[in-house]
Amino acid sequence: MMQQISKFLSKNRKLIPLWSTALLALAAYGIGAYFFVGMRNPQVFFNLFRNSSYLLISAIGMTLVILTGGIDLSVSGVVALTTVSTAVLLREGLNPWGVILLMLAMGMTMGGIMGSFITYLKVQPFIATLAGMWFARGMCFFISDNAVTIDNRIFQILGKTKILIPGLTEIAIKQGNPPPYVSIPVVVGFTLFVVTIFIAHYTRFGRTVYAIGGNEGRNEQSARLMGLPVNRTKMLVYTFNGFCSALAGLALSLFVFSGHGLYASGFELDVIASVVMGGTMLTGGSGYVFGTFFGVMVLAVTQALIQFIGSLSSWWTKIVIGVLTLIFIGVQTVLANRKVGRQAAQSPEVLRAVRRKRLWQGIGVGAVFVLVLASIIIISQFRAASIDGSTENTQCDVKPFRESEAAGLIQDGAVIVYHRTAGPQCVDELFAIYPDGRVTGTDGVNKVEKQVTPAEVEHLLTVISVDHKWFTADIYSTYLTPCRQCFAHNISISYDAQEKSATGVDGTTAMPPGYAFALAEIRPLLPVINPTP
Amino acid sequence: MRKSNGHSFTWKTFTESRLFLPLIALSLILLFDLIFIPGFFSIENRDGNLHGSLIDIFRNGSTVMLLAIGMTLVIATGGIDLSVGAVMAIAASVAGILMNPSALKNEVFFVTDPNYTFQPLWLVIISALFVAILCGLWNGVLVAYVRIQPMVATLILMIAGRGIAQLITNGLRVQITYKLFTFLGQGWIILPFSLYIVAIMFVFTWLMTRKTAIGMFIESVGINFRSSFYSGIDEKKIKLMVYAFCGFCAGIAGLVASSNIKTSDANNIGLTTELDAILAVVIGGTAMAGGRFSLLASMVGALVMQAITQSMYAIGVPAFALQAIKAVVVVFVILLYSEQFRSFIRKFSAPKTEAKP
Repeated sequence: MMQQISKFLSKNRKLIPLWSTALLALAAYGIGAYFFVGMRNPQVFFNLFRNSSYLLISAIGMTLVILTGGIDLSVSGVVALTTVSTAVLLREGLNPWGVILLMLAMGMTMGGIMGSFITYLKVQPFIATLAGMWFARGMCFFISDNAVTIDNRIFQILGKTKILIPGLTEIAIKQGNPPPYVSIPVVVGFTLFVVTIFIAHYTRFGRTVYAIGGNEGRNEQSARLMGLPVNRTKMLVYTFNGFCSALAGLALSLFVFSGHGLYASGFELDVIASVVMGGTMLTGGSGYVFGTFFGVMVLAVTQALIQFIGSLSSWWTKIVIGVLTLIFIGVQTVLANRKVGRQAAQSPEVLRAVRRKRLWQGIGVGAVFVLVLASIIIISQFRAASIDGSTENTQCDVKPFRESEAAGLIQDGAVIVYHRTAGPQCVDELFAIYPDGRVTGTDGVNKVEKQVTPAEVEHLLTVISVDHKWFTADIYSTYLTPCRQCFAHNISISYDAQEKSATGVDGTTAMPPGYAFALAEIRPLLPVINPTP
Repeated sequence: MRKSNGHSFTWKTFTESRLFLPLIALSLILLFDLIFIPGFFSIENRDGNLHGSLIDIFRNGSTVMLLAIGMTLVIATGGIDLSVGAVMAIAASVAGILMNPSALKNEVFFVTDPNYTFQPLWLVIISALFVAILCGLWNGVLVAYVRIQPMVATLILMIAGRGIAQLITNGLRVQITYKLFTFLGQGWIILPFSLYIVAIMFVFTWLMTRKTAIGMFIESVGINFRSSFYSGIDEKKIKLMVYAFCGFCAGIAGLVASSNIKTSDANNIGLTTELDAILAVVIGGTAMAGGRFSLLASMVGALVMQAITQSMYAIGVPAFALQAIKAVVVVFVILLYSEQFRSFIRKFSAPKTEAKP
């Protein structure tokens, strides 16, 4: 039995991390769906792809780089630089298709330059790409200090086109849900994914990539001695990764419709973590492009779970990803050491004893990590629960929007009525802004008033209706049960004989961007009803 | 002919010295400052304390200098420590929470009393440094005993470390007003107090590595850890010690950095300083592959980095755009140190000396 297991382990050394990642992603999603009704919504599942399309694109390029035994830290810089330059070039009125081609060319140039440093000047990949990252990030701020929004029509179309999933639409409509969809970047990502799998496993170039990596650079030497085109392959791999980074940057700008130099900070770590979780050895030479997809999914599901749990802060994502990366690297190291043990000339008994010892060590270390992780989460949950139990309830019963009252205020001459419920303090606050600059607020018990200038109100209305297109189809109502820290908003605006109200909830990606901007514009004018002590 | 040969010999001993390139770089930058920035070298005397741009280079560079001390040893063993920035944040968070535990009650509490502290200073410093050493030991165990690549092993703490720091401070920024603690980064005794900390650490490390055998052990592990193992050096313990020491240095740097801004900000303390530290060591001429190292050259390297930053600020380059300039400097330095460039220089400058031996 024991022997069979160890034989199985040796045979499937490369596949074990891959399948365990796939299982982990599925299990995490399953657990989430079991506890949170919202996660069973098919759109939430497809949002996993929508939210991580740029991560997938970038991770595909990174997989090839890591397979050659290198690393590319510049991806986040190139992504940020792409968003900024795209936004600025579009603002200057260039042809959007031209801009896309130009950005891809820029990414490839950056990758090519870094690749030539690594290949011909023998600079460590780590240092060369680090310099590349700094350069790209610095250039972002030479181009623009502030975030630049993208309102080009073609980009809006590319980013907002909904691609319905065939077969699921009818089922969803039958159940009364909106049909689930993915976006164009997701399709692009999957196309790239399929193409790269083909390149990596079925072409001469792909074989060379695998031949270069691994064994602390000794394999590169042997590949060179075998007459493989090592230099050309490395150059191509880094250029391809630059292309992927630029493509990821375009996908990100289609996702957020703006560009800024601080976007995607720490992104390279996510990319590397998902490649490692996908079963690719960081020393190179071993792994599958296919696995990277599951690595990305683990990351996406982790983020979604933490969003759904709500009481955990976003930095838990970092800890979970760090621990997962560690476990996967540990498993890989243990499995890789098995191979070394097999090759050594020792008697089978000794070998078996060593293997068994290693196996148990590996299992022990893994178990300790899982235990530590579990206990940390449980303890923190207990702590959170005990604190909450004494001071405030964990989940408030969200009060319904008082729509009739809001309509009444609009009748009385208010131009903006803003109602928010839930949030950390479980509020139920109704604000009204009048054209003469009077702002009132009430939560049913206390009433407050504040005076701003009429010009400010006029400015606010213009900004919301013109810049954020309040009275167009860009603004629509969305509603989900708010998480523990999230507010639910209902804004009614009456301006220029038009009237429209829309609801939205914090912390979801479904909220239209214009809605969030409008909220941000309104918020500074509001008085504080219950000042926190 | 002979004369020029003799001349080129002394010139060569000087150019082959480790301090040559960093010193040249530093003096080039200072020359640039002398010409383009008026008043850069003026030092004024305020209440017996010296202030000025030149002093600021030393004061602001002190965190990178502290990190560079630990990083030099780690790189000399053929490793790298990417987690120093995160360890700085962890140490700062531990110190902050021990002096002002209000964040644990989920509130941001603005203490104004400069004498308020929850725990005495010695306990604060010792526990922060203890946690930092633990982080270093963790890296060391992963590298030396589990045999994970150094870059990968420390990458884990780099990713998770900031999360841990925020776990400690409950995700809030902790205000620190305790006067004695702020003296670490903001105090002056003729010169900035942080400089004395750097000097003490430097002298201590220099004595440890150059007056005992440890320095030689580190270098031999860096050159070839297998052969050092067979010649009786416990390379695993050496690596473990070096990473723990690097964590210790990062802890001190974290304390200085947090006392400098009177806050323990888990998100921003030590952000990207690991890169500055590595770069300082690279400018100092220690090879990334390990082997011979020079602490003094790394110190000069750290000063070069800080001098660039300071003079760019003085010219008015925005903080973020500075990174692009740093990148260009890095590329320049990499080119200077690359084997191709050196062989080119050798061919160019002394074709005859090569033929002799």
